[in-house]
Amino acid sequence: MSERSPRQGRDAGVDEILEGRREPGPVARKLPGPVAWFDIRGRSTGHLAFSLNRITGLGLVFYLYLHLLVLSTLLRGEGSWNGFLEIATTPLFLGFDVLLVFGLLVHGLNGTRLALVGSGFVPNRQKALFWSFMIFGAIVLVYTAIHVFGSEG
Amino acid sequence: MLIVGGGGTGGALAHDLTLRGARVVLVERGEFTSGTTGRHHGLLHSGARYAVNDKESALECIEENTLLRRIAPGSFEENDGLFVGLTDEDMAYLPAFLEGCEDTGIPTQVLQPDEALRLEPMLNPVLKVAVRVPDATMDAMRMPLRFFATAKANGADLLNWVDVIDIDLAGGVVSGATVRDQVTGRQTHIGADLVVNATGPWSEQVARMAGVDVPIRPSPGVMLAVRGRLCNMVVNRLHASGDGDIVVPQRALSIVGTSSWVVEDPDDLGVPADHVQRMIDEGSMLVPAVREAPFRSAWSAARPLIGSRDDADSGRELSRTFKTIDHAVDDGVEGFVTITGGKGTTLRGMAEVCADVVSRKLGLDMPCATRETVLLPHTAAYAA
Amino acid sequence: MSDAVRTLRVHRFKRGDDAPRVEEHLVPAHEGTTVLEALRWIQLQEDPTLGLRHSCFHASCGTCGVRVNGRERLACVTRLSDVEGAVIVDPIANLPVLHDLVVDMAAFVARFPQPHPIVRESEFLPESSPADGIDDHERYEDCIECGLCLSACPVAATDDTYVGPAALAYAQRMIEESRGGDREALLHWADQDAGAWRCHAAFECTEACPSDVRPAQRIMALRRELRGRRTDHDRAVPDRPATVTGASA
Repeated sequence: MSERSPRQGRDAGVDEILEGRREPGPVARKLPGPVAWFDIRGRSTGHLAFSLNRITGLGLVFYLYLHLLVLSTLLRGEGSWNGFLEIATTPLFLGFDVLLVFGLLVHGLNGTRLALVGSGFVPNRQKALFWSFMIFGAIVLVYTAIHVFGSEG
Repeated sequence: MLIVGGGGTGGALAHDLTLRGARVVLVERGEFTSGTTGRHHGLLHSGARYAVNDKESALECIEENTLLRRIAPGSFEENDGLFVGLTDEDMAYLPAFLEGCEDTGIPTQVLQPDEALRLEPMLNPVLKVAVRVPDATMDAMRMPLRFFATAKANGADLLNWVDVIDIDLAGGVVSGATVRDQVTGRQTHIGADLVVNATGPWSEQVARMAGVDVPIRPSPGVMLAVRGRLCNMVVNRLHASGDGDIVVPQRALSIVGTSSWVVEDPDDLGVPADHVQRMIDEGSMLVPAVREAPFRSAWSAARPLIGSRDDADSGRELSRTFKTIDHAVDDGVEGFVTITGGKGTTLRGMAEVCADVVSRKLGLDMPCATRETVLLPHTAAYAA
Repeated sequence: MSDAVRTLRVHRFKRGDDAPRVEEHLVPAHEGTTVLEALRWIQLQEDPTLGLRHSCFHASCGTCGVRVNGRERLACVTRLSDVEGAVIVDPIANLPVLHDLVVDMAAFVARFPQPHPIVRESEFLPESSPADGIDDHERYEDCIECGLCLSACPVAATDDTYVGPAALAYAQRMIEESRGGDREALLHWADQDAGAWRCHAAFECTEACPSDVRPAQRIMALRRELRGRRTDHDRAVPDRPATVTGASA
């Protein structure tokens, strides 16, 4: 706020106007902050990479939690673990494995891009870097998927 | 006291009167400088354009040019300007031009074509002569905003988004204004011992609210911005005023101006396509690259020209000087003054003359301090 | 050159309202009509209370920043013919709204380090020579302080303390060409959590910038600068042992 000392005899109309705008107004955000991270409508490559990194990051954290939960079945003996192994080779589960690899590839490759660009190397090629890394990742993903579904798992 | 109008004149006046100890309130219906002030191409006039036909304006310009560089340092691209002669007709204008500049104290330096092309390689290579003058480029919004910033820091209440609906008048005495605060939508009154009408081409509309008439004709001109900074200096055509005879650099753009016609309503200007074409044609005579440069914007801005209804058809014949009208003297309405006319470069000088009139009327005894006071940076105008 | 009638859906909000609302207007438009011209038509023909910032009409003052169909644009140079369907106009994001389409720039300006020179050496037409008595050609900095970069930044959407792309880009330009500024102080200023390190390289600021400032690239250049230097203000432990007398090295 201004440090001007209040002056006597300031016109009432002026006071009314100043008072009406003293409070800072609302910020015009269509979506709350973290939700806006995933709104890529009208946004470009950089924001897409940003959103993907966040969703895969959250996904990987969630996976880590699940993974530890699953491993904890070992504490309950061989029977529970074997029960887990049974569902672990079903196609749906293998599908989730491929999804996991997708998340790891996106997060890892984009993370590498971010490390390069964010340290000041090649910032002008950030879009090209993103797409070339993603294409590379897609190739690796397809190869992995074929092997995951093709073999015993 | 109340200033109506938040353009360059209003801002400079608020600054001057605040320094003299007046309690200043300024109201502006939109953003500061959103009327005419912000729209011009940004030329800090040397006055050379007026040296032959309007010596009064030329003198005002060169004086203010020098002053502004001192009180608003860091707000100008101080690269000077050129008046370029392309035809025999232009060459015939040269002697009168040089004489006029000499008479009005505008320093000149005559350059041969090869020298001129070394300074500005993109000039039309067929030029015959170039005269260097102390033109400069300003940001048409940010430079005037420094006056607002300084006035605000010194205690003036600068209220934008406040629209004047009526001037409060009773028994031949103005006591203030009825306004609508656009931020809340509510109507209220602002009282004042004196109201100054500093609304530029809207002067007549506001004066009518006080029951008086001012001889102002809104005279718009078209400007064209193209991508590419095709010159670092201001480039003018060496002739008496005409359309499209100036190219002003603005950051990474080049602005070509301007034309002139007269309208009734300063809010409804239009952008005539043939005028835009004329900018391209005339501008590319000075700097050929204008013709192929990618388009950025085309717009109109209304000059406030002083003159009666019958005075002129195109507006170019009217003087570019300014006028303070004390309506108590002219029209018997006490408490109302109009300051109008002028150009972007002379804002401080206009404010000084008007402030002299106002301080006399208000009984303030302080002299003008704006010639020496260095202005605050423009960002201070937005400070909370 | 077809004339058309376009639908504009404009964000309206006056102080005292419970919530913002959208007002729809049908605006006549021709080939070159800009968003700003359409909004002014609404102001002049239908609703004089519409609050709208503008000044220069040629992308130099930066006051007419809005979001058009969710994208940050300068209204004065955005043609309706480049926008498909209904034209939704909102104020820019991440700054407090004063009313309607007007944001309070105090919060934007407050993020910049001071002082703030805005004229620099001109890199255009390097083959030209300045006139006698002039050392170098000057020009205004590219940044027109429009706030579009701050509006587009996903980090600014969640962190109001982030100084933002414009301020960081400005600091980097000052470090590149000091004009009497304090290089060390600026690097120190940028080297804070809410400064150059808060950026997550979404590059939306560069996408949104109408003036070719490329703030994202400048933030990365700042980081490169910061990476290589020692910043003593964070060192709690001196790296060399104190001398025998007890004085620090």
